[in-house]
Amino acid sequence: MADIGYIALILALVASIYSAIAFVFGTRRGDARLVASAKNSLLAVCGLVSVSVAILVYALVTHDFQIEYVASYTSSDLSLPYLLSALWAGNSGSLLFWAWLLSIFAVVVVLQKRDIGKELVPYASAIIMGTAAFFFALLLFVSNPFQKLAFVPAEGMGLNPLLENPGMLFHPPFLLAGYVGFTIPFAFAIAALFARKFGDEWIITIRRWTLVAWLFLGIGNLLGAWWAYAELGWGGYWAWDPVESASFMPWLVATAFLHSIMMQRRRGIFKKWNMVLIILTFSLTIFGTFLTRSGVLSSVHTFAASPLLGYSFLAFIGVVLFGSLGLLYLRSTELKGEAEMESLVSRESTFLLNNLLIVGAAFAIFLGTVFPLISEAVRGVKISVGAPFFDQVNGPIFLAVILLTGICTLIGWRRASTKNLVRNFLWPGVAAIGLGVALFILGIREWFALIAFPVFGFVLFTIFSEWFRGTRARCRMRGENYLKAFWGLIRANKPRYGGYIVHIGIVIFAIGVGGSSFYSVEKEVTLRLGDSMTIKNYTLTYESIDSYETESKTVVTTTLSAYNQGKFIGKLIPEKYFHRTYEQPVTEVAIRSTLLEDLYVILIGWDADGTTAFKVLVNPLVMWLWIGGGVVVLGGVIAFWPDRRRLPSPRQTKARREEK
Amino acid sequence: MSLKKLGLAALLFLLLVSPVKAESATVSDISKQLICQCGCTLLLSNCTHIECPVGVPMKALIEQKLDQGQSEEQIIQLFVAQYGEVVLASPPKRGFNLAAWVSPFAAIAAGGVAIYFALKKWVKRGKRYQTKDVTKSKEEDKEYQRQLEKDLKEFDEGGFR
Repeated sequence: MADIGYIALILALVASIYSAIAFVFGTRRGDARLVASAKNSLLAVCGLVSVSVAILVYALVTHDFQIEYVASYTSSDLSLPYLLSALWAGNSGSLLFWAWLLSIFAVVVVLQKRDIGKELVPYASAIIMGTAAFFFALLLFVSNPFQKLAFVPAEGMGLNPLLENPGMLFHPPFLLAGYVGFTIPFAFAIAALFARKFGDEWIITIRRWTLVAWLFLGIGNLLGAWWAYAELGWGGYWAWDPVESASFMPWLVATAFLHSIMMQRRRGIFKKWNMVLIILTFSLTIFGTFLTRSGVLSSVHTFAASPLLGYSFLAFIGVVLFGSLGLLYLRSTELKGEAEMESLVSRESTFLLNNLLIVGAAFAIFLGTVFPLISEAVRGVKISVGAPFFDQVNGPIFLAVILLTGICTLIGWRRASTKNLVRNFLWPGVAAIGLGVALFILGIREWFALIAFPVFGFVLFTIFSEWFRGTRARCRMRGENYLKAFWGLIRANKPRYGGYIVHIGIVIFAIGVGGSSFYSVEKEVTLRLGDSMTIKNYTLTYESIDSYETESKTVVTTTLSAYNQGKFIGKLIPEKYFHRTYEQPVTEVAIRSTLLEDLYVILIGWDADGTTAFKVLVNPLVMWLWIGGGVVVLGGVIAFWPDRRRLPSPRQTKARREEK
Repeated sequence: MSLKKLGLAALLFLLLVSPVKAESATVSDISKQLICQCGCTLLLSNCTHIECPVGVPMKALIEQKLDQGQSEEQIIQLFVAQYGEVVLASPPKRGFNLAAWVSPFAAIAAGGVAIYFALKKWVKRGKRYQTKDVTKSKEEDKEYQRQLEKDLKEFDEGGFR
């Protein structure tokens, strides 16, 4: 069986290389048959990888431990969902999964019905197939998922228990789908350069692809944050681990891209810049993969380090960057935009600033991520660049970005008159200052919070008032009721209002970040049975400690009764798991969430004399992170949602009939 | 309100809100500035390893030194002396490390200047085109005016399309 999987990969490699070449030559020569054959072999690639994936999944499910991958990441007591998730638990499996997703996306690209950008599809498909060929080569020559062991082990090593969490079922596939998704816009950008189609065709074609990849990557990161918070048990959700940063950077640059393509669409400017952004986004996704696979930086995410795999990715990044930027340079004279503006202060300028700040933030994160390497190379001194650096550098930048989303809403396209500006800024400004004063009176003294929260309020106020004005106008014009008018407003321009909803989600998210990073309180305590401790307005009483055995682990479980200002609110049960197959114990935290704050209890350790150590945190507003994330996804989906395909109007059909 | 008064009010406000270090540092404050050296790469305060062979003694040492009355800075320097700069959660803001701290902001500032000049150039170009208006008959003018207004309205209210 495993041999069939391997042979399917060999065939997929051959077919993808053929497809890439045939697409290019077929299109160059105008040979429709060659292009059709390229398309067919693209479909065949997808079929072949699917066979490979099916065989690996079958081997995982049937515990075929002779296959090294199956033996390394599963055991026979693993439940079905986690057996399936083992497909992306290891190096070679996740690369196969990557290649599979890419081939599926490629099929969607060639089968999609489109009115615009048809002539770009062959070149774009060639780029996608070229990328796929790279992954097939890795799977065949560097990291073979079907590698057989010389003997058949009686039992597999099992999945790392940290990965036995519902997060494992969703976080990696979403993240990878995001990573892979950015190949499509990149491919169309290069296709546009190749075909000298410098107009808007390519950005129209890939806007929604980019949005999907952006959404997937965003959801993947969000799930990762939730997973870290609920499972890793250190009390936070984001540690600025190099790999977290690596998946955040392409998301940021893609955010800038999604905004700047609007400028190209409206004003015909930024043509080169958009190319640069998408090339960077794609390169950063590969860079992230390089970081996880090569082990150059230490991180909690590192797969079993494989230097050869690392260098392969590094070489690939080199080819991508030099190749595409070189091509861009060759075409640069033809890509000149004739930019003109009416005014220095306009919505367009806020877009420029937004791009600058977001790319600036991505640069800061990149620099921080690689700075340990730079420092070691330049000074020969090992250093760490951790959370305090990223928080301090990015905090102000992100705050400025959020402020801009509010300002942007208030400034009209093209030109803003002073009168307009004063009128638009007056009430949101008053509201923000009012909020700041209110917070001050409520006893908040941290200057950053006193700036940040009013800014958040300002942005929310501007967006809601814009909605209100739009809805009211619709009400008056069409005589609809408010609810219908509001719905109509959103439906009439999904990209725009979806975008606003994303902005609201980001602000809600930022409120969660602000609350939990400025006002988190933590205490480490050692308690005896019956002892109590207080943190803020909570009292915790240590009730019991117990342990029991399951098939794969020993569980030590403790129970604490929680009281809020003397009122019983429930029992918290922090635990530790000791897996038989895994050295490190796993922490199971107990969390009690409310909209206001989370009570978060970690079991640290215990002594024979019955004293037990806990770490207790009160994290304010964390729930708003997840709510904000949900709102971002909702907005993204609305922005993505297609308009109904426009049927040709009767007049056009009639005209066409007459032509005949 | 005169500018002077405004400035005074701002100063007063800043004085009121500027953070005041009321209580002395705790183990948790200090362990947030250090990286656990057990290989977990996490902040010392976040290392989740049970009975971490490195993290637990590090925290105990912080507590001991705090009890001896040492300052936050002294304790951190003690760790730097033992493990090197790598123990610090973020590079100290001096010497070569300043490159990491400053260059993001320098890059953004440079980009801001570049954008400002580009915008100025574009506005100038836009104005040049505007002045090249050709006078047309009033009738035609009105029709174009209407069309222009319609297009501009669409432009303003349309999204990505």
